[in-house]
Amino acid sequence: MSVDSPIPAAAPGPPPSMSMDVVERDHNRMVLSIGPQHPSTHGVLQVLTEIDGEVITRAEPEIGYLHTGIEKSAENLFWTQASTVIERMDYLSPLSNALCYILGVEKLLGVTDLVPERAQQVRVLLCELSRIASHCVWLGTGGIDLGALSGFFYAFDLRERILDLNELSGGARMHPNYLRIGGLRDDLPAGFLDRLDALIAMYKPRMNELRNLLQSNPILQDRMIDVGIISADDAIAWGLTGPCLRASGVAYDVRKTFPYSGYENYDFDVVTRTEGDAYARFLVRLDEMDQSMRIIEQVRKNLVGGPIMADDTKFTPPPKETIAVSMEALIHHFKYVSESFRVPPGDVYSAVEGPRGELGYYIVSNGDNRPWRVRTRPPSMYNLQILKQIAVGELIADMVVMIGSLDPVFGEVDR
Amino acid sequence: MAVDSPGEFLLGKVDEVARWAQSSSVWPLTMGLACCAIEMMTATAPEYDMARLGSEVFRASPRQADLMIVSGRLAQKMAPIIKRLYDQMADPKWVISMGACASSGGVFDNYAIVQGVDTVIPVDVYMPGCPPTPDGLLYAVNLIQQQIRQGGRGGIFARA
Amino acid sequence: MPSSQTPPAGSTALDPTAVRPAIDDARIIRTTPQAVRDELLALKRDGYAMLSDIGGVDYLEREPRFDVVYHLLKFALNGAQAARVRVLCGVPGADPVVPTVSDVWPSADWAEREIYDLFGVSFSGHPDLRRIQLPVEWEGHPLRKDYPLRGPARDRTPRPSFALKSNVAAGTPASGKTAAALQRQIAAARGQTLPPDPAPHAAEKAQAGNTPGAVATAGAATPQELGAEPNAARGRQLPKDGSK
Repeated sequence: MSVDSPIPAAAPGPPPSMSMDVVERDHNRMVLSIGPQHPSTHGVLQVLTEIDGEVITRAEPEIGYLHTGIEKSAENLFWTQASTVIERMDYLSPLSNALCYILGVEKLLGVTDLVPERAQQVRVLLCELSRIASHCVWLGTGGIDLGALSGFFYAFDLRERILDLNELSGGARMHPNYLRIGGLRDDLPAGFLDRLDALIAMYKPRMNELRNLLQSNPILQDRMIDVGIISADDAIAWGLTGPCLRASGVAYDVRKTFPYSGYENYDFDVVTRTEGDAYARFLVRLDEMDQSMRIIEQVRKNLVGGPIMADDTKFTPPPKETIAVSMEALIHHFKYVSESFRVPPGDVYSAVEGPRGELGYYIVSNGDNRPWRVRTRPPSMYNLQILKQIAVGELIADMVVMIGSLDPVFGEVDR
Repeated sequence: MAVDSPGEFLLGKVDEVARWAQSSSVWPLTMGLACCAIEMMTATAPEYDMARLGSEVFRASPRQADLMIVSGRLAQKMAPIIKRLYDQMADPKWVISMGACASSGGVFDNYAIVQGVDTVIPVDVYMPGCPPTPDGLLYAVNLIQQQIRQGGRGGIFARA
Repeated sequence: MPSSQTPPAGSTALDPTAVRPAIDDARIIRTTPQAVRDELLALKRDGYAMLSDIGGVDYLEREPRFDVVYHLLKFALNGAQAARVRVLCGVPGADPVVPTVSDVWPSADWAEREIYDLFGVSFSGHPDLRRIQLPVEWEGHPLRKDYPLRGPARDRTPRPSFALKSNVAAGTPASGKTAAALQRQIAAARGQTLPPDPAPHAAEKAQAGNTPGAVATAGAATPQELGAEPNAARGRQLPKDGSK
């Protein structure tokens, strides 16, 4: 398709973007294209697989079916607006994306110390809730891939409670856009803490149910143990991070190694295992959900009062109540919304521990009111790349297990 | 309604029964692209439960599906594939364009996103939202059911 | 949405990486395409085991035009401290070629393909350099600054923009008068006195230079503080909702 007609007509043969040449044809082997529309590929992934009987001899993942141009859009939006499109990258845990970007911009502004403690605590709280919500989707869909349909319902019900909290605080279930440069958009509404307490109370019984259903299930164990083994050296060479890296024995967690937003104040373990197979990744994620709940309980216990926005009008909007009574506040708000503020020139790399691994943003500012470049370090893309290696020699039925255990999100892989 | 013969009346009744059957068992295709796909999955989860509207199963094969819910942003690379899937679906078929990105390009007015799937396939129901809540999707499926019962595209005498 | 689609005008620095604020997030090394492979191999021998990311940036008016940024990570093993390093390789716009590192770190494979796809920077020695995010027949490299946001086809029909009708060009720096007046009002509501205002053009220069802390900042006032002054004169009461 040429750039003059960006809407492509349907081609009579295979879609032009599928390069069959990368996978060799041998008369004994079959080329199977898994995806991009497939119930178990966790999104729009195409894996061009060469199989000999049922054994995979070569696997070539094709990505780009969800390429959204988010980074180009971010260059054309104000600093405050860019977090809306950036939130839509890893759509299962949008608050991690927003937090990582906002931490980067706060570093460029030099105002990391001005963010009040309550705002930092609520950021940690919401990020950990996002992590649990994301792992719920992984758990539910991973179960469906293997035929365990009941787990999906329990996991998604747990996720509903978290989305309720998102909706209560931010206004939307999935992309709340609640975090702002300098703090939060608004304080936690009445009823939030009660619902959070209810969630904390229902979490342990629900996780016990899920573990009984899935973790000790012999069929699940048979399908996941010794499938897709990744050694620690391979994991480091392929740039894996997150549960995939930790399940291979490398205890690297950005929250512990390069703490941000007050994570050094909380007591939690970095869950690692050494086997490196799909079952190890499964167990690591389950245990990570428990560790996240541990952090949430600590935040709930130690939540301080106080302001939720940095005390500096240069990059924060005036409080909403002042706009009705002060002309200067109204003008300042108008300029903030229509022109935004300027960020000093420079570049920064900001990283957080997302549910999939080290999510990073390399942000370049040239002094203007829009980012010059926002480069994402997508953990899912690096996690997914290793599929080329670990799929070789496995059975075709293990493909969905491996993809599920790597847990890619294509909003992030393709951006 | 005036009928000229008992035969016409009977055919009319058969048509009504057929439409009622079709509208009560709309099976969607698993066409999940991005964030809206997660809300589509949530619509099958216990709190919203699309199965009670008749969408008991999501069919992975387009040959077996009636409804394509285009949930998420349509990238340029994916556009020919969506067209091919739509062509592969057997008549009668309906399309819900779920979310702002599928309906019009949404927040992404750039080179990479097709500005509305209706430039590639015909759409019956457009749903705004980013993403729409699952009960919005339930309402959209209700609208599809109304469209089926009222006739037009689909029905027992479907046109291509 | 922003009021215009053209790149921002009048930027203060064409090379932001040379004007860095004091952020200690990584060690920075600047290099050239001829030296980058040796540099990266030396860092790998030094313990930076993981190539965490490769990114591209287009600076358009700077020579060299592109930056290929390698992010490396050292783990806290064997007594070493965890550390990050960032290698910035300036690539000329005329013939952008960089040697590949996909034989050293397999993680570089897709990252280099993506930079080739979106920026047009080639990686010599890469086993399979083809487009990854966009269809293979796509023409152009979208993340370059001279590629229009909406693509060349749709760029011919620009969106209506309110900035075209306003008397303030998009990208004009704020004069700082409103912020200063707001700070004066807040200070007055709190009963403080601010130092006398600097001369207007100095305030504007300080605003345009925009280094944090250059302009005296005052915290945002509570509605009670702000409301007390103007509304007391009118005799109206603020609603007592107990917020903040």
